[in-house]
Amino acid sequence: MSCPKTHYILQEYFSENLLTVARDELDKHLTECVYCNAQLESVLLAQQNLRQWQDQRTPHWDRGLELFRQEHRIDRPVSRFWISWQWLPTAASLAMLCVLLFNVSVVSNDSGFSISFAGSSDLDSNLDTQLVEFEQAQRLEIKQLAARVAIRQDSTNLQLLRAVMEQTQQSTADSFDHMYAYFEQQRLLDLQDMRASYEQLVDSDYETIRSLRQLVNYVGFQSDIR
Amino acid sequence: MSLIDKDEALIIAALKGSAYAWEKLVKRYESKIYNHGLRLTGSSSDAMDLMQEVFLGVYRNLHRFRGDAKFSSWIFRIAHNKAVDMNRRKRLMTSPLKFFADDGDDGFEKFPGKKELEPENRLGNQEQNVHVLKLLSELNSDQRSIVELKVFQSLTFDEIAELQDVSKNTVKTRFYSALKKLKVVSEEKNVLS
Repeated sequence: MSCPKTHYILQEYFSENLLTVARDELDKHLTECVYCNAQLESVLLAQQNLRQWQDQRTPHWDRGLELFRQEHRIDRPVSRFWISWQWLPTAASLAMLCVLLFNVSVVSNDSGFSISFAGSSDLDSNLDTQLVEFEQAQRLEIKQLAARVAIRQDSTNLQLLRAVMEQTQQSTADSFDHMYAYFEQQRLLDLQDMRASYEQLVDSDYETIRSLRQLVNYVGFQSDIR
Repeated sequence: MSLIDKDEALIIAALKGSAYAWEKLVKRYESKIYNHGLRLTGSSSDAMDLMQEVFLGVYRNLHRFRGDAKFSSWIFRIAHNKAVDMNRRKRLMTSPLKFFADDGDDGFEKFPGKKELEPENRLGNQEQNVHVLKLLSELNSDQRSIVELKVFQSLTFDEIAELQDVSKNTVKTRFYSALKKLKVVSEEKNVLS
């Protein structure tokens, strides 16, 4: 059994701004009409099935930040301190360039500092003289140093040689002592061995004589019996 | 939500060049747009493409947003337009035979994503989402779009009619047809299972 109003009823059921009178009529029909009610139930169930969706996590992406930064010309954030002092290297370079270009000389003496531009001949000659004197003094000092090093080296070599010789003598004497002790010990051992051999030999001779004597006695006894 | 966190405040800050505000605005809507795309296309890569196109469109037209409507409505209008564009592009790129191959004689034009829907592979073990995508894949693009806007975005029939540039009655009819079709499909699946 079907209902001719089903299509209209269900279509309107999902309207949001239905008049109260129309909503009441609709509810009344749905209460009375079993077919429409069953159709509504199954349609709501289908809608309920869709609502089981669980949001998926969005894969990683840059969120258009690169484009945003490019179009707004946003560079990496730089500290305000460095921004305010970034003129300093330029100024220092300029100052150094000026010093080179104008040949600025700064001289320190007893009366204080003096700064001169484009250099001066007196200053140059004075500087040359000072450099020559400094060179000579340095050469002299190096020679003296070399002589001291040579003397110290000789002395060290001599001490080393002496120590080596003493060590050699000592070790030679110790070697002779050891050899003498070894020979003496060996000699005593040989004597002991020789004595033991003689004693053994004498004992065996005694044994032989005793055996001969017993043999003679035995032969004599046999003769007496016959 | 504090005043500074409101969409309008973030939009003004983003227009002044605040990358932080832009990122916050995107973060607020990216999940909704991505899932919207996922349900419409059935493909995560297409959903990503759609989402990126939507936010590019938002970025390009942000200065035109007057605040007459809610920002969420505005962004979903862009999303809808982009989805329609994407649908049209895919239709042009793919042969018609492919669309109607499994479609029988119902005369409905299937959404291009239908043939490419492999929800099991794309969504892993999320069986509920797979089930929803299977149901949605049975609808044509207009029906799917209306169901998306009505069921998931909770738009009114008036808003949907304005968005799709059709009459309110057409929207109602399409929505009811979609639900009827979903009902039939659900019943068939229940019988088979």
